[in-house]
Amino acid sequence: MTDRLVGQVSGYLPNIPLEVVSQGAEALVFKTKVHPYIEKPYLQNNSEYIIKFRPSKPYRHPKIDASITKNRTIGEVKFMAKLSKLGIKAPSVISADYKNGIIWMECLGSELPNGEVSSLKNWLWYLERNESEERCLADDVKLACNKVGELIGKLHMNDMIHGDLTSSNILLQNGEPMLIDFGLSSYSGLPEDKAVDLYVLERAILSTHSVFSDKYNQWLLEGYEAGHKSSEFGKKGNKKLVETIRKLEDVRLRGRKRSMLG
Amino acid sequence: MTVDLDKYAKPGKGYYIALGLEGSANKLGVGVIKHNLGQLSTTNRAEVLSNIRDTYITPPGEGFLPRDTARHHRNWVVRVIKKALIEAKIKGTDIDCICFTQGPGMGAPLQSVVVAARTLAQLWDLPLVGVNHCVGHIEMGREITGADNPVVLYVSGGNTQVIAYSKQRYRIFGETLDIAIGNCLDRFARTLKIPNEPAPGYNIEQMAKKGKHLVNLPYTVKGMDLSMSGILAHVEGLAKDMFGKQNKKLVDVESGEPITAEDLCFSLQEILFSMLVEITERAIAHVNSNQVLIVGGVGSNERLQEMMKLMIQDRKNGQIYATDERFCIDNGIMIAHAGLLGYRTGQTNELWNTICTQRFRTDEVFVKWRDD
Repeated sequence: MTDRLVGQVSGYLPNIPLEVVSQGAEALVFKTKVHPYIEKPYLQNNSEYIIKFRPSKPYRHPKIDASITKNRTIGEVKFMAKLSKLGIKAPSVISADYKNGIIWMECLGSELPNGEVSSLKNWLWYLERNESEERCLADDVKLACNKVGELIGKLHMNDMIHGDLTSSNILLQNGEPMLIDFGLSSYSGLPEDKAVDLYVLERAILSTHSVFSDKYNQWLLEGYEAGHKSSEFGKKGNKKLVETIRKLEDVRLRGRKRSMLG
Repeated sequence: MTVDLDKYAKPGKGYYIALGLEGSANKLGVGVIKHNLGQLSTTNRAEVLSNIRDTYITPPGEGFLPRDTARHHRNWVVRVIKKALIEAKIKGTDIDCICFTQGPGMGAPLQSVVVAARTLAQLWDLPLVGVNHCVGHIEMGREITGADNPVVLYVSGGNTQVIAYSKQRYRIFGETLDIAIGNCLDRFARTLKIPNEPAPGYNIEQMAKKGKHLVNLPYTVKGMDLSMSGILAHVEGLAKDMFGKQNKKLVDVESGEPITAEDLCFSLQEILFSMLVEITERAIAHVNSNQVLIVGGVGSNERLQEMMKLMIQDRKNGQIYATDERFCIDNGIMIAHAGLLGYRTGQTNELWNTICTQRFRTDEVFVKWRDD
């Protein structure tokens, strides 16, 4: 049960009131009102903070487990620090404990009418369940998808790879998207890695939002192109875009046409 | 509302019987299944009348080639079908439909089995039902374990997929970007010249139980997808260094003890299965589910089942479902079961439409028998 994990994290963070927000695949996310070292931090939301905890996984060999927990926590913190330097929207890091897999960060996002966190996934699902088809394909959805694509384009132009792009790893705040969850992130300038990153997102959209996935994916790609064509990257943007898109077509083919024996 | 499964029932007959033929890889399987009228439920289970399998086994260090595997299937298919009918105590005329694997799989073995299916269908004047191999695994797993709407980890010699149901399709959330898990294990078994009898993966599992030291191997998870060819190349390189001409000795850094073939098997399993469990957990978190069902040949590995259990215990109300080797490893009964579900919702194939295909994605199948 999750109680075991909550007990574990309270051991590392004694006397910190924690409220469980969600249990992701590899981490537990908590909310707290306590800042570890400043009373009035310079953050957008300075009353609540997020604590992300990567528990040790009992199914993994202890050696594999320790190295994965440490590497991913360090990787995520560094990635987030680099993003904030570049001015790409993502939560800011407040503090981190590599060995125990704890990151303390800024609390972003808002609540949807049904009380869930405003991730792209939850928002699209909310629309799909409660609203009409036209609403699901309305202009603000298109704009949000475009902006997400643009954000990813900017990330890739800086040779940064998210590694786990899904609609649940994109938060929306007043219509502005931002990325979260960088445990699998890496740095690479290869079109191949960027294409796989895009392909992972494309497939996640296809399986999670299957009804309108064609439109969503199209809008995301449009935004991605726009991100590359922005004036700050000049001619280089277009060249990189062409390479990545060509590679994306290869990767897609690899996925669908792979022979599956047995 | 649930789907009416009895729209196509024969008047006056209280049950259905289907014959399933499977031969997409080196196993030739024939099974007979019986469904009573009405919805399948805990009180109205599908009944396995017979489940016969014959495996084509090659010498150590060799894989099975399509041509030879097809010849094996051709030689044995009549005998295996006869045995299945005798064990089920039925005649050809008792059967409602003949189900066969339409893909994915190896072309030649698939072809030789579909020829048998077509012959029987014309001989007994019965409809044919083409079945997607992966859907067969999923439906049989659900029926045997009673899992209602699980995230499915499908791991076998040719497939590695994480699947979840949504809107009448089994959608693929994660899969291998290069080779399949079973393929990876089989090829490593060939490098070490581990026997293929009863199965290379089984022998690796037994050796891994004796392994103690973890050798450093790459760990490659990309979102909900994974990649295994790099790991295989790495571990094969180590094995060649150790057992090839160089005869290089490797030692464990901590204990100073020599690394053995058992340690390599142990390390390979630990790293590959950690990756599998991780992507499964990612899919579970992504679709807010709490059930896992493991199907496919590699799913009968006890270490994988144990790791999956440890993972699911840390999730709210988590439940794991797994089957034993009778239903995990390719078999005819799963084809019969999934085919019969198709038949009961009116999905049959005309003779011209029974061509097999090596490439048949799980999400291409329209799951007419579910509508939740």
